Amino acid sequence: MADHDNSESKPKQSLGFLTVLECPRDGLFGGYLALTFLGRPLEFRCTAPIKPNRAQQILYGSTLDPYLYGEQIGKTLLSGATISPLVVFTDQSAILAAGDCVDVPVVLVQTPTSEKEAQDTAGNQAEIPSSGSNGKTWRVHAAHAPDFNLAHFRVGRNHLATIARTENEQATITERLAGLTESFDLAEPFTRIREAIEEARGGGGS
Amino acid sequence: MSETTCWAIDPVEGLSWHAPGSPAVHSFDLEVRVETVPRLDFKRPERPEVHAVPLSPEQLRVVSVPIARTRPPKTRSFRFGVAEEEKAFGPRPGEASSNRISSGGSQCSALTGGLLTRIRPPKDVIKLEDRLNYLLQPPLEALLAERSLRFCFEPFHYQYEGIAFLYPRHAAILADEMGLGKTMQAITAIRLLVHRGEVRRVLLVCPKPLVTNWQREFDAWAPEIPASVVEGDQTKRHWQWLLPDVPVTIANYELLRRDRSLLTGADSALTFDLVVLDEAQRIKNRRSATSQAVCSLRSRRRWAMTGTPVENSPEDLVGIFDFLLPGCLSSDMRPRRMGRAVSDHILRRTKEEVLTDLPPKLFRDAEMELSPEQQAAYQLAEGDGVVHLNDLGSQITIQHVFELILRLKQICNFDPATGTSSKLERLEADLEEVAHSGRKAIVFSQWVKTIEQLRGPLARFGPLEYHGRVPSKQRDAVIRQFGEDRDSHVLLISYGAGSVGLNLQFASYVFLFDRWWNPAVEDQAINRVHRIGSAGPVTVTRFLALGTIEERINRILEEKRELFDTIFCDTRPHRRQSLSQEEIFGLFDLKGPATPSRVVA
Repeated sequence: MADHDNSESKPKQSLGFLTVLECPRDGLFGGYLALTFLGRPLEFRCTAPIKPNRAQQILYGSTLDPYLYGEQIGKTLLSGATISPLVVFTDQSAILAAGDCVDVPVVLVQTPTSEKEAQDTAGNQAEIPSSGSNGKTWRVHAAHAPDFNLAHFRVGRNHLATIARTENEQATITERLAGLTESFDLAEPFTRIREAIEEARGGGGS
Repeated sequence: MSETTCWAIDPVEGLSWHAPGSPAVHSFDLEVRVETVPRLDFKRPERPEVHAVPLSPEQLRVVSVPIARTRPPKTRSFRFGVAEEEKAFGPRPGEASSNRISSGGSQCSALTGGLLTRIRPPKDVIKLEDRLNYLLQPPLEALLAERSLRFCFEPFHYQYEGIAFLYPRHAAILADEMGLGKTMQAITAIRLLVHRGEVRRVLLVCPKPLVTNWQREFDAWAPEIPASVVEGDQTKRHWQWLLPDVPVTIANYELLRRDRSLLTGADSALTFDLVVLDEAQRIKNRRSATSQAVCSLRSRRRWAMTGTPVENSPEDLVGIFDFLLPGCLSSDMRPRRMGRAVSDHILRRTKEEVLTDLPPKLFRDAEMELSPEQQAAYQLAEGDGVVHLNDLGSQITIQHVFELILRLKQICNFDPATGTSSKLERLEADLEEVAHSGRKAIVFSQWVKTIEQLRGPLARFGPLEYHGRVPSKQRDAVIRQFGEDRDSHVLLISYGAGSVGLNLQFASYVFLFDRWWNPAVEDQAINRVHRIGSAGPVTVTRFLALGTIEERINRILEEKRELFDTIFCDTRPHRRQSLSQEEIFGLFDLKGPATPSRVVA
């Protein structure tokens, strides 16, 4: 990722937003948006779709999502960005794994979607449906589940969370967000990313 | 043969003995029937087959499942420019802490709790990077919530949508029904463009009576943006046109015609970032000097505002698009194709669609007999007039028929000899009730002379007047006085001067003393009162003299209104609503000259 202030023309402060859009036919599309503190777009990056193969689905178990969302998509998008954000926000907990690959804090913005996702994985058990026609379901038990323990905190009206082992970053994150206007809804930019991915998929031009 | 003992075996008796003697010959049938019964328990088991399975590790079959880490996905990147003001954005010195994230605030909940309006790229934006630049902008509500873009009151959601429609478009018609706040939407879109640095010089063109209204609206909705009005003599105007660093210039159509050479001359440097036309139906006639002056302006963006984009025929729309997007429409296009061609450039909403909370609008047709004096005068005028028209024979023109119609309509208002009027009697009775309840009414007429005739009899209701003979500079004061003066219960307005641009929502009653040729103009007049801010139901009374030309015109116009509504619901261009030449002649059972049909009223 580019260093801070490596160009005079770049804003001194920016925020990153990272999400993944799942398309049943094509696979996973990643999208990353860098915004100014006023919410204006600076940079948008998106990936071609990726789709795990059968072997990956079986052998990665519940670590598949953190691998695909975090390492494959998140790391790729963040490491290629030209503008370095102060904080990267995501609305999907699997993307938190990208925090291990970059030197910027990755924070979960708790939206109704992310909270439901958290509830679904609360039992430390995940089911991966088979892609074949036999209708089998692979069950991954707790012993193989990734570390999704979250440490929650609030900044203004926004409910945020980090991976528990990186809880010590929360003070830094709060400090970095001190210049944010209170009207900034940290969940809203993900809607923009999803629409932009759809637009890019639809062949909106060149 | 020695005597021997012979033994015989009898198959039945078994073995038997015979005494010796002559040898007896016995023959024996040795065929013995034997039955065998298989016994399974005696069956010998088959010999088991023995297979040797090699257990040595070298012989295990190994299947390799490839789980190699896949290559990172391909990516696409897009960079977007940032306004200068944002480049060094950070906590601003001396800024109140309440504007920062602390204990929360109402703005955030207001934004997330309600509907958010997204700015979407127009269809004519092709390049993906440009389309994404629109899609990735913050919701309109978030843009407007910034400190420098406060509003005098919270816009309605449909108004946000109107702003989001105008903002990205280089050619657009905002064709909302009257009273939905087109002015506010246009000003806010201009304001956003100015703040984003996307426009630096805007020209707003409107009818002369509305210039001060636009000034007021700019003061209310964009107080930080200076708006300069072009007026005065030629020297002063020349200086005003060339004033640098004026974001918004307001001019009327007449001045634009007069100053055309200055604005569009070969050596002229006047280029605008945006030209906005209010009441854009003014340029529907492509051959008019106004249309030609407007179309020759140099501008990157062009917007038009009108509640009636099609007043008479689809040709009106062609005229407006000659300004907006030359070549987009042509007169020979079928209406449906025309509609498809412009669909992304027009936004039209009706009150019924977007203002479910607006008070109801009640119509009542006040049909009345003419007074005996009026009746006599009417019959005489009509009889003589029709005879005269017939006498003209092939020399008859539409102008001759018009003169008769106007004469008859005037008699329907007042008897020219005695001044008696059935309509006046009815109006006085209704105004008594209006005044008694402390409410206010607007009376529309086609003629200033009629308004002057009403002035005296209605004196007890404190009538004020707004028409072409009232100097422009006094008109705002008239409207202000009507709104504030508790003793003034009625405002007498001519259709020509007061059917557009005025906000009279403090009145509750509208009287159409006589009828205009075109229902769209009547609708405009009624919507001066029935608009945002209306405190209660608006009652519209349409006066109609039975058995007269008014009734015949009304019947045709009602049919056209129904047709208009039907076409409008299908979002197709509207058919003409005014009267054609054949229809005008048909009012008197006359046949017109054999010339191509055209709309004349």
